[in-house]
Amino acid sequence: MSVHLPALDHGFMDPAAALYTIRIHGDLGATVLSAFPALVPQHLGADTVLTGPLDRSALYGVLAQVEALGLDLVEIRQLTPQRRSPEPGDNRSP
Amino acid sequence: MDRAKARLISRGDLLAALDRAAARKVTIMSAPAGSGKTSLLRAWADRLSQPQRLAVMQVQRDQHDAQQFWLALLDVVRQASGTTSRAEPPTATPDFNGPAMVDRVLSELAGQRGRLILVIDDLHELTSPDALAQLTRLLNNLPGDVHAVLATRRDLPLRLHQLRLAGELAEIRAADLRFTEREARELLDASGIALSEAGVALLHQRTEGWAAGLRLAAISLADHPDPERFVAEFSGSDRTVAEYLIAEMLERQPDDVKDLLLRTSLLDRVNAELADLLTGRPGSERILLELEDANAFVISLDPERTWFRYHHLFADLLRLELRRALPAEVPVLHRRAAEWFIQHGQVVDAIRHTQAAGDWRGAARLLADYSFSMTLDGNTQTIQALLQAFPQGADHPELALVHATVDLVQGRLDEAAARLAVAETYAEAAPPDRRRSLRVAIASLKLSLARRRGHFAGVLEQAKFLASPVTGRSDEDIALRSDLRAVALMNLGIVEAWSLALPDAERHLQEGAVLARNIGRPYLEVACLAQLGFASKIRPFATTRRRCHEAIALADRHGWGAEPIVAPALVTLAANLVWTGEFDEGERWLHRTEQALQTDTGPGIRLLVHIARGMLQAGRGRRHEALDEFSAAEHLRSQLAGSHALASQVTGWMLATQARVGLPGEARASLAALDDERANSGEIGNARAVICLAEGNPAAALPAVQDVLDGTAPVIGYVTLVETHLLAGLAHRELGDQRAANQAAERALTLAEPDRLVLPFVMTGSAELLEALPRHETAHAALLTDILDVVHGSSLAAQDQPPRPQTEELSPTELRVLRYLPTNLSRPEIASELSVSVNTVNTHVRNIYAKLQARDRSSAVQRARELRLLSAGLTH
Repeated sequence: MSVHLPALDHGFMDPAAALYTIRIHGDLGATVLSAFPALVPQHLGADTVLTGPLDRSALYGVLAQVEALGLDLVEIRQLTPQRRSPEPGDNRSP
Repeated sequence: MDRAKARLISRGDLLAALDRAAARKVTIMSAPAGSGKTSLLRAWADRLSQPQRLAVMQVQRDQHDAQQFWLALLDVVRQASGTTSRAEPPTATPDFNGPAMVDRVLSELAGQRGRLILVIDDLHELTSPDALAQLTRLLNNLPGDVHAVLATRRDLPLRLHQLRLAGELAEIRAADLRFTEREARELLDASGIALSEAGVALLHQRTEGWAAGLRLAAISLADHPDPERFVAEFSGSDRTVAEYLIAEMLERQPDDVKDLLLRTSLLDRVNAELADLLTGRPGSERILLELEDANAFVISLDPERTWFRYHHLFADLLRLELRRALPAEVPVLHRRAAEWFIQHGQVVDAIRHTQAAGDWRGAARLLADYSFSMTLDGNTQTIQALLQAFPQGADHPELALVHATVDLVQGRLDEAAARLAVAETYAEAAPPDRRRSLRVAIASLKLSLARRRGHFAGVLEQAKFLASPVTGRSDEDIALRSDLRAVALMNLGIVEAWSLALPDAERHLQEGAVLARNIGRPYLEVACLAQLGFASKIRPFATTRRRCHEAIALADRHGWGAEPIVAPALVTLAANLVWTGEFDEGERWLHRTEQALQTDTGPGIRLLVHIARGMLQAGRGRRHEALDEFSAAEHLRSQLAGSHALASQVTGWMLATQARVGLPGEARASLAALDDERANSGEIGNARAVICLAEGNPAAALPAVQDVLDGTAPVIGYVTLVETHLLAGLAHRELGDQRAANQAAERALTLAEPDRLVLPFVMTGSAELLEALPRHETAHAALLTDILDVVHGSSLAAQDQPPRPQTEELSPTELRVLRYLPTNLSRPEIASELSVSVNTVNTHVRNIYAKLQARDRSSAVQRARELRLLSAGLTH
């Protein structure tokens, strides 16, 4: 199942951002999901997986929201490593 | 419909755990949102036995301002220990001293009797790292009877290892706070909900004992027709507990309640008026009160139940739902709220809501108008947070003024100047209604900048706007202009004082102090009064002292007695005391000045401290140490941008002291390097004379001071003339003209008598000159005796020590006789001086002894000195 990632539409990714997946226990409804506009949700079993490009600040912002809404964080994983400096050919999608 | 009042159930085990924990110093409750921390604390507080007092504080949402945190904490501590009546309530100041604030809280805590429990809830909202560090120090140093309880959502970087090692730290974590199945049943029973055992077990399992989940479920279950089915459906859903239950709860509410909850969710706090405004309907008061009665998610903030807030988790989810359900309404609601806040003077909230409405231009304008007053309120960090919220890359020229204000407060003077230039360019091109207020603000900032940089010349240009009266279109407008005016008066007065335009300085500082008092700005009032002390040079010393004491007393009342703001008064008082020979007392005040200047020092005030210290050392005969101080002062003076009021005094004394420690050659070389303008001042003239005397050339000393004696050389004050007369006297003495020497000494004494100056005599080494003066040739015998005492090593008694009470006042004739007691004239000689009989003198002396409770002449003289009676007959 492929996941459509709108942030990569232009084939451009902020070099300071990495791709993360964040797995939350429970089936997140529309209200809670609206707290994570930069991430794309996927319902996998009893969990919801949020995926998207996040730089450090955005990542900790997301974690703060998870805490604030009393959500049950199961896993957080980085899918692509963070780049140190922009290079040509960055616009390959993973 | 009868809603059961949500009772806090008694969670016995946990309450017992808190009781046990209270035996140690600190308890930390660290558990996620909705675990029931606040409810537990409230239940525990309710059942505490009386002798223990409770200070409860809840950290404001996203509290990045250390000062606001500490002021709130100090406030609850003072209220709990009942000291609110004594001192002034603490107010925010532009320069916040964290360590001093912690000391203040510690001393408040130490000063109260009996046990005190300090509760700080929502500690995770404190985002200032400074504040956390300061709090760590507080917790590690709690006095004996104080116990602290901290509630937080996540573990914080509080370094409390020592407490933990000593067994003084107790922790309560999420697992401890989970409701057991039995407690879940109790909660449901208390809300009048009938649910089967199996149903309770299911509910407990689904919520995992999470307090917020159980309470939310209880709200929906309370009047549900089929509780069992509700629980079953809830169990079968995979949705997160909070989302599911809040949605359920909202659905069950009548439309007006649901509307109110959603629309007011974007406020940090809500009252009936605001709620009516945002819903567009009356009747919010009833709804809010009922909501609080029905559930634990709406909490009133005051005993009268006028202000409410929602549990953060609850509010967050409502806010999300509002954005999802009524997206077009959100900016409108923010705008309406902003208007309400502006009308009620809550500027920070107004700006936040204006930003949230997406009205960046409006927010920029508000911030530009109010940032000045906000810095006076001590809200500089808040201003920075608001600035950061503006989208990057957006161009808001009005913000240049805000940035300049922050730069100025935080000491980045060059940046402030650059931004002010930008703001000025914008102001000229701004629409007419904006132009005037921008110009006024810019002028006031420029005045502050000039004062801080020491650019004293040309500052008066900026003060032109002070000539026009304070007008405005609204109350806020007038308040803002009054703030600007008060600060402008203060800065202008300071600049004038340091430029020795003293009558103007006095006038402006007095006006500034009165205005500051009227507009409720105690900080500015203290600043003006402290500078007024310094500006009182042309007044009698007694007036200067009184003014300094006034400023210091006011500062002490507000807890600013050790702040840099009062330093001008402290150092002026210290110097004043050194001038009159009260060295010990002067040293105490100097010490206090140095403590006050630990955090911030401008070169101007540091220069004053060096001069005062130099004077003290010279007074005590420590010439090398005095030279060090005067040299340090001279070095600072040479680095100042503008010319300093006391410049010639600093240089003069440095050169003179150099000569006196045996370096006349160096002194002469420095003297030659002075430019003409400086070289012609009276103080330098005196230095020249000292150098000549040190070189063994008294004949050259006399022409050196001729300009001063005939009044053609400018002097800072009359104290220079006292020195001049003494130096002339010393020269005459060396040249063998004793009569001229005596005359010069007498002139010096006459000048020194009104204020009872002692220091010039000590500094010039005039002991022999005075001793050679025949007693009957002086009208100032008492002063002379005092001076000789000091020269021979004693410090005069401090005025501040409370003297033993006098029984009766002395009559004018008795005072006249009293003045002769310190001399070595016999009673017949005194009688002949006063042209009365010896019997009359004896009677007077008897009465004097009785009134002063003295046994003999010397104890009478001692008492008279303590009571400052020896000059009483001369001044009026």
